[in-house]
Amino acid sequence: MNIRKIVTLVEETLTEGGRPVEPNARVAVVAAVIENPWKGQGFVEDLSAGIDAAASRVGELLAPRVVKALGGTVEAYGKAAIVGLDGEIEHGSALIHTLKFGDHFRNAASATTLLPAVEKRGPAGVTFDIPLKHVTDATIRSHHQSIEVRLADAPHPGEIVIALAAAAQGRPQQRLAPLSTEQ
Amino acid sequence: MFSPTPSPEARAAGIRKIVYYQEEVLLENGVLPPVPALRATAAAVLANPWAGTGPETDLGPATREIAPQIARALTDRLIAGLGGAEKIEAFGKAAIVGTAGEIEHAGALIHTPFFGNLVREFLEGSSIICFADERAEAGQPLVVPLWHKTEAATRSHYQTVTARVSDGPRPDEIVVIAAASTGPRPHARIGDRATDPAVTSRILEGASL
Repeated sequence: MNIRKIVTLVEETLTEGGRPVEPNARVAVVAAVIENPWKGQGFVEDLSAGIDAAASRVGELLAPRVVKALGGTVEAYGKAAIVGLDGEIEHGSALIHTLKFGDHFRNAASATTLLPAVEKRGPAGVTFDIPLKHVTDATIRSHHQSIEVRLADAPHPGEIVIALAAAAQGRPQQRLAPLSTEQ
Repeated sequence: MFSPTPSPEARAAGIRKIVYYQEEVLLENGVLPPVPALRATAAAVLANPWAGTGPETDLGPATREIAPQIARALTDRLIAGLGGAEKIEAFGKAAIVGTAGEIEHAGALIHTPFFGNLVREFLEGSSIICFADERAEAGQPLVVPLWHKTEAATRSHYQTVTARVSDGPRPDEIVVIAAASTGPRPHARIGDRATDPAVTSRILEGASL
């Protein structure tokens, strides 16, 4: 697996809606820009060889980095695969929709739920939003949130951006009634 | 990377959000850079203290009050992210003023000693700090130039990093950015002042200019 670049993004919100957020709300993203394992191969029916070569390794690379970048307990998390223009969205999905990828993050974050995801194809500099949900109960409404990401020069046509996102809390100023109140 | 401490001074300076972006190039043109470097930007989104005021307004008082707090908040994050001020070799700065502001408002927060001197001091540099500024809508990417923090003419360290805040600046906000790098461009190989031949149009006579 060829990794061209690793990007770390940390957003801290100090105020929201004109009111202080204390402590600062923190969301972190770590993304790896990798060569598409199926680059130049035409339509590959069986993607398992590429999955075996890359999915676990990129998950293992990103998981500890995003936990460290967050600098706190992971309460919500999500993932992304952004495929360069020459690839199939299926290539990105192949790398992130496998336990070989996600379990690294699930274990590092003491998480149990499925990772919400965005899969998209686009040019270098495309913006994408990573959805995040609570790490042990995906129905906890306070933790439904997303973070917008853009890498200025990725993905190239033959690349895939694989990213993990982690939040140390729910939304700043979250104040919606829980799901249970509507059941 | 950072300890999640409260930031009362930054909040008092009107900072709504701080975005830290860092990139590490492992392969450039397919090859590991001989001197790997981390490049980073720290961007603060804050209320424009001069929103709604005219060009006769004295920008000094608010600059003295706010700019040092921004310099501290941004350099703290660069230093923490890049592993210490001693690891930082190049720096730069930038500002994006929202559409209801004046480009001079952006300049006030980055071009005076109340920001620039403190960024230079905290990052342990001595060079003038190169910059970019513009007025734009929220989400505008801005390419921030960097050069060497003690030897500005060091050509290997001429480089850029792109900063962006997805939801800032609002029309009445300003984004202020400090940027740093721990090394040169990935495969810097275009010589330096010490190795350049003499070049003038006369020397090059005969070449088609």
